[in-house]
Amino acid sequence: MARRARKGSKKKGKQNLMPVFIGIGAIVVLALILGSGVLKKGSSARGLEPTPNFRIAEYRQDGSRFASSGNVYVFDGRVENIETVGNARLVSISIPDNPDERLPLLVPGDVKLRVNLTRGDRFIFETTCRTGKTGDGKQVKGVLIVKNVETR
Amino acid sequence: MMKRESAALILALAMTGMSTAQMPTGGAPSGGAPAMPNSFDASGSAAKPQSNDPAHQGETPNPQLLGVEMPLMDPSTDTVKYNGGIFDVGNNAAVRARFEKYLQQVPDDSSESKRYRALIKDMLKQTQRAGRDKNYAVGGDVLIKVGRGLYKASEYPGDGNQSGALASAIVSALDVQRDSLTRERDNEKLEKEMNSLVKQADEWQNHNVARKSALSAGANQGGNGKKNAGRSDSGGDLNALRIAQYIKTAAKKESTQAANLATSESAKIASKLNYQAMLVALLFSRRFDHVVIGSRVYRHIFRDGDTTLNLDKDSKAHEVFSGGVGLPPTVNSIDSIASNMRREVDQSIQSVYGMLARNKLAEATQQLIAAVAIGEYMQSVATFPADARQRIAQFWTLRKRALTALNARDYATVEDVAAKMKEMDVDFDDSMLLSYTTGKKRQSDLAIRNARKALSKGDEEGFNKYITEAGIIWPRNPNLDKGTELLEKFDAGDPVKEEFVRLYDGKEFRRIAREREHYKIVAMDPELAKKYEEVISLVMRMDGMLEQIKGVAEQDATLGPCMAYEKLVEWQKSDENFANDTEMTLVLKDFESKAHDFVQALRDGDACEKRGEYGSALSCYYRAQCKYMQSTLAREGIKRVTDVIVKATY
Repeated sequence: MARRARKGSKKKGKQNLMPVFIGIGAIVVLALILGSGVLKKGSSARGLEPTPNFRIAEYRQDGSRFASSGNVYVFDGRVENIETVGNARLVSISIPDNPDERLPLLVPGDVKLRVNLTRGDRFIFETTCRTGKTGDGKQVKGVLIVKNVETR
Repeated sequence: MMKRESAALILALAMTGMSTAQMPTGGAPSGGAPAMPNSFDASGSAAKPQSNDPAHQGETPNPQLLGVEMPLMDPSTDTVKYNGGIFDVGNNAAVRARFEKYLQQVPDDSSESKRYRALIKDMLKQTQRAGRDKNYAVGGDVLIKVGRGLYKASEYPGDGNQSGALASAIVSALDVQRDSLTRERDNEKLEKEMNSLVKQADEWQNHNVARKSALSAGANQGGNGKKNAGRSDSGGDLNALRIAQYIKTAAKKESTQAANLATSESAKIASKLNYQAMLVALLFSRRFDHVVIGSRVYRHIFRDGDTTLNLDKDSKAHEVFSGGVGLPPTVNSIDSIASNMRREVDQSIQSVYGMLARNKLAEATQQLIAAVAIGEYMQSVATFPADARQRIAQFWTLRKRALTALNARDYATVEDVAAKMKEMDVDFDDSMLLSYTTGKKRQSDLAIRNARKALSKGDEEGFNKYITEAGIIWPRNPNLDKGTELLEKFDAGDPVKEEFVRLYDGKEFRRIAREREHYKIVAMDPELAKKYEEVISLVMRMDGMLEQIKGVAEQDATLGPCMAYEKLVEWQKSDENFANDTEMTLVLKDFESKAHDFVQALRDGDACEKRGEYGSALSCYYRAQCKYMQSTLAREGIKRVTDVIVKATY
């Protein structure tokens, strides 16, 4: 008796769960919508968004791996230090939630920025990873060169 | 009076029974070693060796008595000057032997001894009484009793026949006196005969004169007178011859009388000299009882009242026996000296009893030596108890050991023995002994120190000189073994040197420092000495640095290891010796593991830099800087890489 009654109740349960599933689906959709809104918070005014899956640890091991042509990397970071050598500047930024890391970014002298870089402020940096050469022909691999900087 | 007392001491000469064959004290030891003292004088200095050396030849000779040189005793140093040498009474072989024999002897309490002493005592009493009896005559009962007593006393073995000798001297002197008396009587008889002859000669002379007068009267009266004249002339010649014979006989008797007188006088003088020599000999052989007996009967043997000693007036002996008062020395002087000696010895023995009761063994020993040396044959000395002798013998043995050790320059033993003597007698003054040994030990140690210095400079000749000097001063100096060991090491030092050079060239400084005692010997080579010092100071410096860095690192568990690692890397880069030091490398490894992230970031940066991955390298250095903000290595890396990145074209 008891077993039969249980079978009966199971079938009845399946029928009753439909509205629950629908509700959960609605919640998920809502969450996705809200989540996209949150992600859009790190984007620039022009809509630049930090490159996902960029691991600084990997960059530290082999920077030239990121120097494939056409790769653009966008970082949302806080300026920790600016080193000016001639017209060029070397900016080190810290990535949020990763205070033990610094990412060095070269701002060549010929790059005209529309923003004024100040230490301690957060910016959106649009960069490319390139390999350069020194005067004596030595390769300078995996250097992130700033193309554009925007305020957040 | 004091002079008389010192004269008594001077005459203690006889006590030693010394001969010229005895060794003077302080003889220079063989091998050119400094002279070791046998005793110490009152000033604390070691008694100076003085012997027959020419320096002492010019000194005033000792006084002589009856042709015998008298030793002079100096009470301040317990030494006796005799026959050109200085003898330490307390350390003279003869005195030592005699005193040791005395200490081991059983007190002479035998019945024979008692009988002997009773005889001597009786004779002393009788002579004392006879001295008071002015009517005592030669050949008197007392003199006979004394003679018999002396002969009887000579039967006792301990007497050494001294009594017999004195008795013989008395008998001999009496015989001379008797012979003189006989000659005096003969002379008296001769005198009578001479007087008779002279009388007879006078009578005949008178008779002749009477006859001549009668004949001359008859001649004047006629012829009968001529006839009688011829007869009377022949009778007158006969009388003249008879008178001449009488005169000749009388002259002969007179010369005999003179010869008798001369013989008596010379025999008396010889007899006196012999007797006086006997008394002096008895005094020298310390038979003071016999001296007193002999002196007291002297005036009864030689009844001329002359007791003067036959001494040169200018001699010191004359002065000594006369007591320095300018009066001629007499037999009474000898009597007085002997009596004083007897009193001195008895007093010494009494004081020895007192000192032993107060445990003053050192002083008691000295007093007993003096008493035995002076009055060995006196009753108070001969009957000194065995247990007291044993106590003094123990102390004496230690004293002898101290002197023997001192002569052997075994100063450690001297100090050991002195300590034992001090235990036995708390008043024993060991200060001079100890200050002397301490001084000598220091001298020897100083010489060893100089030897070591010489050896460290590679001066083997200097080493030999100083080590020999140290050995001569103190042959059993324990540090001499170390010096010898050092020399042996020096001799066998070549393999060690080679090993040291190999380790030094291989920069194995830590091993050298660990076995620094083993390699210390190489310091004898001036060149290697510098290297040895360099290694030891370097290791000590590194140890100091490591201790310091560990201490600082412990203050911050996070940043401390980073700082320490960076500092150690910096040191190792700055000095090759630091880089090669295993201990410093071990410490570096330890901090490396403790500051792993920081070290890894620096290493990654360095690796990337080498591969041309400047972007990555810069990132690595930044990471290292994040771990340790004051990092010099990170800062330098950043600067270096930044320069390259900025100057490159892209």
